[in-house]
Amino acid sequence: MNGLKITNVSKTFGKTNVLKDINVEIADGKFLILVGPSGCGKSTLLNIIAGLETATTGRIEIAGEDVISRDPKDRNIAMVFQSYALYPTMTVRGNIAFGLNIRKVPKAEQQQIVDRVAKMLRIEDLLDRKPAQLSGGQRQRVAMGRALARDPAIFLFDEPLSNLDAKLRVDMRTEIKELHQRMKTTVVYVTHDQVEAMTLGDYIAVMKDGIIQQFGTPSEIYNHPNNMFVAGFMGSPSMNFIPCQLTEVGGEVGVYLQGHTTRFFVRLSQTGKDYSRWLGKNLMFGIRPEHITDYAEQVGAQEAIPCKVDILEPTGPDTLLFITLNKVKVVCRVTPETALQHSIDKMPLYFNTAKAVLFDPASGLAI
Amino acid sequence: MVTKWLERIMPRLVLAPTFVIALVFIHGFILLNAWLSFSSSNLMPKYDWAGFIQYERLFANERTAVAATNLFIFATLFILICLFLGLLMAILLDQRIRGEGVIRTIYLYPMALSFIVTGTAWKWILNPGLGFEKLMHDIGFETFQFDWLVNSEMAIYTVVIAGVWQSSGFVMALFLAGLRGIDESIIKAAQIDGASLPTIYRKIIIPGMRPVFFSAFIILAHIAIKSFDLVMALTGGGPGYSSDLPATFMYTFAFTRGQIGIGAASAMMMLMTVMAVIVPYLYSELRSQRHA
Amino acid sequence: MLNSGTIRWNHVLGRAFIYLMLGAFALYYLIPLFVMVVTSLKPLDEIRSGNLLSLPMQPTFEAWGIAWNSACTGVQCNGLQGYFYNSMIMVIPAMLISTLLGAMNGYVLTKWKFPGSNVVFSMLLVGCFIPFQVILLPMAKVLGMVGLAGSLPGLVMVHVIYGLAFTTLFFRNYYITIPDELINAARIDGASFWTTFFKIILPLSTPIIVVSTIWQFTQIWNDFLFGVIYSSGEQQPITVALNNLVNTSTGVKRYNVDMAGAIIAALPTLFVYVVAGKYFVRGLTAGSVKG
Repeated sequence: MNGLKITNVSKTFGKTNVLKDINVEIADGKFLILVGPSGCGKSTLLNIIAGLETATTGRIEIAGEDVISRDPKDRNIAMVFQSYALYPTMTVRGNIAFGLNIRKVPKAEQQQIVDRVAKMLRIEDLLDRKPAQLSGGQRQRVAMGRALARDPAIFLFDEPLSNLDAKLRVDMRTEIKELHQRMKTTVVYVTHDQVEAMTLGDYIAVMKDGIIQQFGTPSEIYNHPNNMFVAGFMGSPSMNFIPCQLTEVGGEVGVYLQGHTTRFFVRLSQTGKDYSRWLGKNLMFGIRPEHITDYAEQVGAQEAIPCKVDILEPTGPDTLLFITLNKVKVVCRVTPETALQHSIDKMPLYFNTAKAVLFDPASGLAI
Repeated sequence: MVTKWLERIMPRLVLAPTFVIALVFIHGFILLNAWLSFSSSNLMPKYDWAGFIQYERLFANERTAVAATNLFIFATLFILICLFLGLLMAILLDQRIRGEGVIRTIYLYPMALSFIVTGTAWKWILNPGLGFEKLMHDIGFETFQFDWLVNSEMAIYTVVIAGVWQSSGFVMALFLAGLRGIDESIIKAAQIDGASLPTIYRKIIIPGMRPVFFSAFIILAHIAIKSFDLVMALTGGGPGYSSDLPATFMYTFAFTRGQIGIGAASAMMMLMTVMAVIVPYLYSELRSQRHA
Repeated sequence: MLNSGTIRWNHVLGRAFIYLMLGAFALYYLIPLFVMVVTSLKPLDEIRSGNLLSLPMQPTFEAWGIAWNSACTGVQCNGLQGYFYNSMIMVIPAMLISTLLGAMNGYVLTKWKFPGSNVVFSMLLVGCFIPFQVILLPMAKVLGMVGLAGSLPGLVMVHVIYGLAFTTLFFRNYYITIPDELINAARIDGASFWTTFFKIILPLSTPIIVVSTIWQFTQIWNDFLFGVIYSSGEQQPITVALNNLVNTSTGVKRYNVDMAGAIIAALPTLFVYVVAGKYFVRGLTAGSVKG
C-alpha cells in the first residue's frame, strides 16, 4: 500500500511557480524528508499534503485514498508545526485532547489516550500546565503529543526542531527516530538542515526553486548527487568544486590540479565511468573534504601529494585544512595528529578519486 | 454538503455586514453629502442639480472667512504648543523619574474627559468676573484684566488654552513611547564617544523620532479640524460668531439655520482639508512600508 | 576632589530642576480638577466672595443634589440623572455590539482572508479619517426613514456604525500577531470556523477586548456631536444635557451646580481611566495614530 503518493502537483501564485510538477511516492511506514533552502517550496508542498493550501493542479493520495478535495480534518493526518502552535489558553491536557474532543471521542477514551501519549513522551508531570509555563523542549514534546494522540495515517512535521538549541535538537532528533521506528507510521518531514535529513530519512527529496532536484535514499543523495546543487547542499563542509580540464596521460583519464607550488595529475579510472566523450572539455571536479585526507588505507594505492596549507581549523574530532587548487579554495579533512606532525608547507594529502564526481559546469549536472 | 458550503463562505458572510456599512454609511453618505452640496437644498434636502451655487454662497458668507481664520489660528497654536509641551514633558519624564507612573496618570487624565466637561470647567476658570481675574486680584495684582472669553478678538485663544490642556498629555505619551523605542545601544555608543546628554537628545534622539513627530502632527491636525464640542461648551462660537470653527459653522448652517446646502458644502470643504493633511501622510506611510 | 564635588552638585541641582518642572506640569493638569471640586462644594455666596482656589468654609453637597435632581436642562428641570441613565443605556449595547463585530471582522481579516477582504478593510478604514460632518446630513435622513430619529436606539446604531472602523482596526492589528500556524493546527484538529473563533481566538483576546470596550466606552460616553444632532428631549445623552444645563440662561448663574454637573458627567470615564489606565492609553495610541 502507498503511504503517500504525490502526482503532478503544481502551485502558482499569480505568475510565480512555487511548485512545478512534483511527483513523489513512498511506501507505507517510510520516513520522507523534504529538504532545501528557504523558498524552495518544501513548506508549501507540506501544506498541500495537509490540505492547508490547495494545489493548482495534481493529485495527493494518502494511504491509498485520493484526498485532494478533502478538508484537512478529513485527511487522517496529524501535524507538528515549527512554532509548535500550542493553544495558549488550554492546558497541556487540553491541547492534546482538543482534536479528540472535536471528533467526539468519549471522555474516558480521551483520558486513556492522553495518558498513553504523555507516558510515551514523558510529559505526565506537565499535563496541567499552560504552554507559557513550559520550556522550548517541553513545548516541542507537547506538540508531538498532540499529533500522536490522533493515530493518523501520516505524520507531517514542519521544521519541528528549528526553534530548539543545538544540544536539544540532537536529543529530539534521536527521539523522533525512535518514535518512528516504534510506531511505523508514514512521516513527511520538512527541514532545511541537511544533517537532520541524512540522519532521519528513509528517503530524501532535495528541493530548489519548486523542483525536486533529486529523490533517493540518503546514501544515494550523498554519494551520487545528480547535480552541483544537491552535491553542494548536502554535506558540511560542502563539497569542493574545482574547475579543471579533462585530459588523457599515458592512457589514463584524469585532471591536472595546480597548487601553490606543485602541479599534479589525478587519475579518474577508479570512478568506473567512461569519460571519453568529455576529453579536452572544461569541467568541475567535485570532491568532498573527507576525500582529500590523510587516511591512506581508505584511498587505495595512490601516492600522497604534498600541499601548502593556507589555513588550519581544528574542530576537535578532526582538523580542516584549506589549500588552493586551480585558484579556488579547497577544504580537506585530516586527523588532528596528522595536522600536527607535518609542516604546513608540505602536508601529505591523498585524493580519494573513487568518490569524486565530475560536473558539466554549463548545466550543473553530474556526468 | 450544505454545512461544508456554509463553512466555505462563512468568512464572506461575516464580513458582509461590514462591507454594506462601509459602502453605504461611509462612502455612500459622502457621495450623498456631495450631491447635497451641489443641490439647491435649503430648509429641506432637495436632490437636484444646482451647480456650485452653495459653494458660492459659502464663500460669499462673511462667517466662512472667520471660521477659516479661526481654524488656522487654533490649529497652528494648538499643534505647536502641544508638540512643544509634549516633547518637553516626555524628555523630563524619561530621566529615570521616581513615581513616573503617577505623574503620567496625572498628565493624561484630561484625555478621558469629554470636551464638554473640559469646556465647562475652563469656561468657569476663565470667567471674566469671578475666575482667574479674581484670583489674580486676590493675590495682589489688582489691575489685572482677563476677559478673553467675552472678547471677540481673543475668544479663539481660550479654545487653544483648553484644547492644549486636554491634549498635550496625550502627545507626551506618544513621545515617551517614541523615546522608549530608541535603541539603547545607540545612546550608549554616543556616551562612550563623549557626547553630553543635551547633545545626545539634540543630535541623536530627537532626529530619530521624526515618525513620532509626524504622527503626532497628523493626530493633532485631525483633532483641530474636527473640533466642535470644545467650542460649543466653552464659547458657543461667540461672542457673536467670533470663535466659530468649521465644525460649528457646519452645525449651525445645516441643523439650526436650515441652510442644508451650505452646510453640506462646508462639510465637503472640511473633508478636503482633512484629506489634504492625511493623504500625503498615508502615501508616505504606504511607500515606506513597501520599502521595508 | 573639588572637581568631582562640583559635578555632584550640578547633578543634584539638575535633578531638583527636573522634579520642579514635572511638579509644575502636574499642578497645571490638576488645578482645573481641583477648581471643579472645590467650586462644586461651595455655596453661591462663597463663590462670589472667594476665588477659584479658596477652600469652601462650609462644604455642602447641595449643588450636587441640584445637578442630579432638579437643575434645568432647557425646558425640563429634573437634573441630570435621567440623562446619565440615557448615556448608560446607549453606551453599553453600542460598546458591546461594536466590539463583538470588530472581533469577528479582525478574525476574518487576518485568518480567513479572501480575495477582496482587504478592499473591505480599506473601505472601512476611511471611516477612521473622515470628519463626521460629512455624513451628518445623510445619516439624519436615514434615521428619519427608519423611524429612529431622536431616539436612543438610533444613537446606538450611529455609534456602532462609526465605531466599527476603530474596533476592527484594534482586533485586526492584534490578531495579526497571532501565528497562522495556530489556526492551521486547529483546522487539522478538525475545528470549524466558529469553534476556532470561540475556543481558541476569543480566549486569547482579553487584552484587546478590554482596550476596545474602554475605547468605545469613553468615545461614546464623551460624544457630543451625534448626541446633539440625533437625539432630542428626554432621549439625550449626558454631554448634551450638561451643555444645556450650563448654557440655560434663565435665573442666576449657579457655577457650583455647573461644576457638580460636569464632574457627574466625567465620573464614569474618569473611573474607567483610573481603574484601567494602561488599557486606555493603549487604545488611545493604537486608535488615534489612525485618527
